[in-house]
Amino acid sequence: MKRSVGTAAGVFLLALSLFPSTAFPVLYIDINAPGGKRMPIAVADAAVGSGDPSLSREIPKILSDDLVLTDLFDLIPPTAHMETVTAAHFSGKPLSFPGWKMIGAEAVVIGLADVRGDRLWIEMRLYDATQGTLLLGKRYTGTPGQLRSIVHRFANEIVYTFTGVRGVFGTEIAFTARSGKSRGKELYIVGMDGRDLRKVTDNRSFNLFPRWSPDGQWLAYNSFRTGAPVVYLRNVSTGAEKEVIRFGGSKAPGGFSPDGAWLYAGVSQAGNSDIYRVRVVGGSLEKIVGGWGLEVSPSPSPDGKRIAFVSDRGGSPQIYVKTIGVAGETRISNGAGYATSPSWSPAGDRIAYTVRSGGRFIVATVAPDGSGSRDVASETDGDCEDPSFSPDGRSLVYTYRKRDYSALKIISTDGRRQRTLVSGLRDVGSPAWSPGR
Amino acid sequence: MKGTFSWKWAVLALSIAALMSVGCAKKQTVKSEGDQTPPAESAPAPITEAPVAVAPAMPPAEAPGVAVTEEKVSKFDDVRFDFDKSELKEDGRKASGVVADYLKNHPQAKVLIEGHCDERGTAEYNMALGERRATAVMTYLVSLGVPKAALSTVSFGKEKPLDPAHNDEAWAKNRRAHFVLQ
Repeated sequence: MKRSVGTAAGVFLLALSLFPSTAFPVLYIDINAPGGKRMPIAVADAAVGSGDPSLSREIPKILSDDLVLTDLFDLIPPTAHMETVTAAHFSGKPLSFPGWKMIGAEAVVIGLADVRGDRLWIEMRLYDATQGTLLLGKRYTGTPGQLRSIVHRFANEIVYTFTGVRGVFGTEIAFTARSGKSRGKELYIVGMDGRDLRKVTDNRSFNLFPRWSPDGQWLAYNSFRTGAPVVYLRNVSTGAEKEVIRFGGSKAPGGFSPDGAWLYAGVSQAGNSDIYRVRVVGGSLEKIVGGWGLEVSPSPSPDGKRIAFVSDRGGSPQIYVKTIGVAGETRISNGAGYATSPSWSPAGDRIAYTVRSGGRFIVATVAPDGSGSRDVASETDGDCEDPSFSPDGRSLVYTYRKRDYSALKIISTDGRRQRTLVSGLRDVGSPAWSPGR
Repeated sequence: MKGTFSWKWAVLALSIAALMSVGCAKKQTVKSEGDQTPPAESAPAPITEAPVAVAPAMPPAEAPGVAVTEEKVSKFDDVRFDFDKSELKEDGRKASGVVADYLKNHPQAKVLIEGHCDERGTAEYNMALGERRATAVMTYLVSLGVPKAALSTVSFGKEKPLDPAHNDEAWAKNRRAHFVLQ
């Protein structure tokens, strides 16, 4: 790149070569188009060098399940595939694209896997079947146990290639539930696909309100295990822990600033809860929203410049938005129902929240200026509460409760697709979707 | 040339880029046809950066926490509250009066005031509401002459219902301040 070219233009040229298809309508998917056409894609059986032959079907199965979940792709059934992919296709031999086009594929994914000792090697490629060109190719290495993680990564890259927004496979949801016969609540983590459910705490006290750090390595949460509520940061890989907020009475962590330096929280002093932010390293403290009302549940915007939060200063709990460093707060819920639990979308354009409507609680979203409110998740019998956005802003995880039954559910933000993520645990709640992987 | 931004060059470069993109409308810029090796920018991404699968299935053994989860039987009646409210009613003032008398007769005694909510509404709001309820009772006791040093508060929000049923009667019992002799 010549130094005589202006910096911004240089970045633009570099960007062209990295994001081949987003500007051109050949293979472009608009993820915001309601009920848009799905792209027909074929995921071929993988070629396996050394290793378990069942990898040949397992790899495309994991990838296909992911692609189906996005609701952006139509999978060409494997029984229709005519060409067998071999290692030769990864060292010069072209695919027979007319054959793939004939069965309706506009894109083809091929894979090659090798297991040598305790090392797994996978190469995956995405082709434009119409043009016969390579769109995306990656080589991965890891342990055989990381097979799913690797394929999820490639699925995220495929989604990114076609939409400009990274997929969310491999991300996780932290939540709380009562464990065994204990009256306490523990923290749990589960993969967004419902697999790998595991407990994070095991102290039989109340462990509440898990919130992810932006790097996905830490969970802020509130524990009563010392007898009084304290907010800790727990490292999810190592289990290491540090205390972050001890002052005050009731407390609950909200979100972090995007650089991870600040944790926002609602904390009570003298019986009145206000919004603070605490420096994760060093512990210095700033009050962000005060006053005689009860303020809780701060949720920062993705750029960190604003927060959504709950205040009952108007007589009932409602959602407000404040620009950090600027005086004043704006109410964005309509003031009618009881509105709590805001979650600001990582895409920036919507805030999800819980609102009482028709005698029960439902999940709705609204634009940050308070306009365009839409109901997303509701049931005629039972409550839908505590939404948390996926990192791509396309889905929400929330809690469904009806008398003794509780479950975590995932719904697309257009409300069209819904599935149960976790059921069978007691009193599940407080779900928090991790950042992208 | 240092990093000073030059609009002329930027406009020129962008125009060239625009022309290039129109000319290349159907061609993928990543790799041309026939070249089967993966593109240079997609260098191998070793998966070992993100050890998601490494997290232990069982958490490291933790000492069981101080037993806050069990209901502590009290010699005092609870103070009850209306939905979403933290004002003491007549019964609540009477119940608090009994506690105040006890504390005046037992100057060494201390009381923890727990604040609770019913299960409706979301957990964080209820945690703060429970604190407000406990503090309202504490303020009232102080107004009756109880020294503040004899009192402390904690909120359990809706986490520790007295009655787990899902009806108005249970909910009324759960909206309470509970006195625990320390």
